[in-house]
Amino acid sequence: MSDNAGFLQKHHFLIRRLHSLSGILPIGVFLIAHLVTNSSILWGGAALKARGQAEDLSLTQGGIAYFQEEVSWINTQVPHLLLIEISLWAAIAFHSILGIYYATSGKSNLAHYSYQDNKRYVLQRWSGYLGILFIFYHVATLRWGWTFLVPSGTEWSHHFSASTLAAAVQGSTSGYTAIGVVVSLFYFLGVSLLVFHFANGLWTAAITWGLTVSEQAQKRWGYVCTALGAGLMLAAWSSLAGAFLTDHDTALEVESAILVEEHGPEHLEHLIEEVMDDEDHDEHTLNTTDTDNNEG
Amino acid sequence: MTTATAHQPTSDKPKAVPGRSVIFKIKRCDGPGKPFRWESFKVPTEPGSNVISCLKWIAANPTTTDGKQTTPVVWDSGCLEEVCGACTMVINGRVRQSCSCLIDDYAPREGDTVTLEPMSKFPVIRDLWVDRERMFNALERVKGWVPIDGTYNLGAGPQESPEHQQMRYALSECMTCGCCLEACPQFLKEEDPKNWDTAFIGAQAISQARYFNEHETGARLKGDRMDVLTGPGGVSDCGNAQNCVKVCPKHIPLTESIGAVGRSATVHAIKKFFLGH
Ligand code: SF4
Ligand code: SF4
Ligand code: FES
Repeated sequence: MSDNAGFLQKHHFLIRRLHSLSGILPIGVFLIAHLVTNSSILWGGAALKARGQAEDLSLTQGGIAYFQEEVSWINTQVPHLLLIEISLWAAIAFHSILGIYYATSGKSNLAHYSYQDNKRYVLQRWSGYLGILFIFYHVATLRWGWTFLVPSGTEWSHHFSASTLAAAVQGSTSGYTAIGVVVSLFYFLGVSLLVFHFANGLWTAAITWGLTVSEQAQKRWGYVCTALGAGLMLAAWSSLAGAFLTDHDTALEVESAILVEEHGPEHLEHLIEEVMDDEDHDEHTLNTTDTDNNEG
Repeated sequence: MTTATAHQPTSDKPKAVPGRSVIFKIKRCDGPGKPFRWESFKVPTEPGSNVISCLKWIAANPTTTDGKQTTPVVWDSGCLEEVCGACTMVINGRVRQSCSCLIDDYAPREGDTVTLEPMSKFPVIRDLWVDRERMFNALERVKGWVPIDGTYNLGAGPQESPEHQQMRYALSECMTCGCCLEACPQFLKEEDPKNWDTAFIGAQAISQARYFNEHETGARLKGDRMDVLTGPGGVSDCGNAQNCVKVCPKHIPLTESIGAVGRSATVHAIKKFFLGH
């Protein structure tokens, strides 16, 4: 314990600055890319049409197709994807663990000094706490396959990116359920807070590093960060709206068509079998437990 | 009743009632380690009364509103014109100098209440009087001076442009009052001087370090100052809540100082990394 404290004190400044840096690189940069990609589920149809592609698809179907292509590209073309992911998770763990440690060393006093900047200070901390819970849920359910945390039990698949995503946030493969709406609200809160956290963090980082010194410079950089934050907020809400509004069956059709076109019908059957197998397996296990219980 | 709007004088504030009496609710403490207690006093006011003049009246008439005879309330003060910082306390929940705090603004009606508390970030010596030693210690740590003592004549001082002088003048006005530290969510009370070296140093010392770094002769100690300010409790512990700059009675651009020292810290750390000193 005292060794830990000693290490932290000796490298206090470096660790503090790495904490600040890690929020921008890689986490912030990833956040931008992630939200822009995900929001394509909403605007991708228009983009395809603008390019003169996907003429036989509706705007909604086009969005699904665009999103699916982006996801396939990431999952098949990006080299060392796992390494990138692990670095990202490590950066998030570093940033959040230290962040919680630092945040708990302050004591907010909004009651008496309710300035807007002080509110930002407090919100930065709470958005961090809630944001990390959200990120954990988001990654665990959609990346690590912790399906027991998904109301529909759906496992996200990069072959069926939009349909499995829709099922995960809507609560079932056949439309909204109450718990699905709760999950979506959690997503809404989570992404909104995280976008704020990033925009505000970017603003304060400029003071921390000494890029913005004068009040004027801090103000101007504030406008830049606000604009960036607003843009990202829009992207975040579009992503979520896209996932929430996408019809599972429509998405599955579009995704299947892409798979057939690219790899032939056998591949699709193979993939579907795999998914079914998984589900059968689950049911099977359930049945066995049931029988076990009955017998017991 | 304490009026929420009474913190700052506004143009539409109610007109002060002449000859009224005002209740002072005071958080008291008999000495270090002793428990706190609240006592109220009813004080007659005159036009232009301030908190110190009312405290003087209480010292002469130490009877609470319950009619109980008590000890006079202790406070600290010096200049009585908001330049020494000694009389700083928490009035109606917010930190400020008590000598310049006019009762007409804070309690304009008969029976209005003014709450007085000692600053919460410094050890209480007695009642409203606190020990601000940690701030002076911080000034020593960041070498808040220009090094001119030596064995030979250093000659004339450096030339300075009027703009630069103006900038430094604003920083020079700090009176070590502690408002910026009292309002800072990152600056916490630390009674044990052993911990002063690692706990957050606060905006006052950061800004003073900048003040002396900006002096051409003072800049000779910049490396030492930046060693302290890039260590534990240094400038990187600031959470950018920016309360400090809003409560500073001298309107010192503290957040600019924090940005400037942050910049020096970045440069200092990079230099140290690559050059080793
Ligand atoms: S800006 Fe920094 S020093 Fe000023 S009140 Fe906020 S945390 Fe404290
Ligand atoms: S910087 Fe301002 S608030 Fe802080 S001690 Fe100096 S005068 Fe007081
Ligand atoms: S007595 Fe000096 S500031 Fe109030």
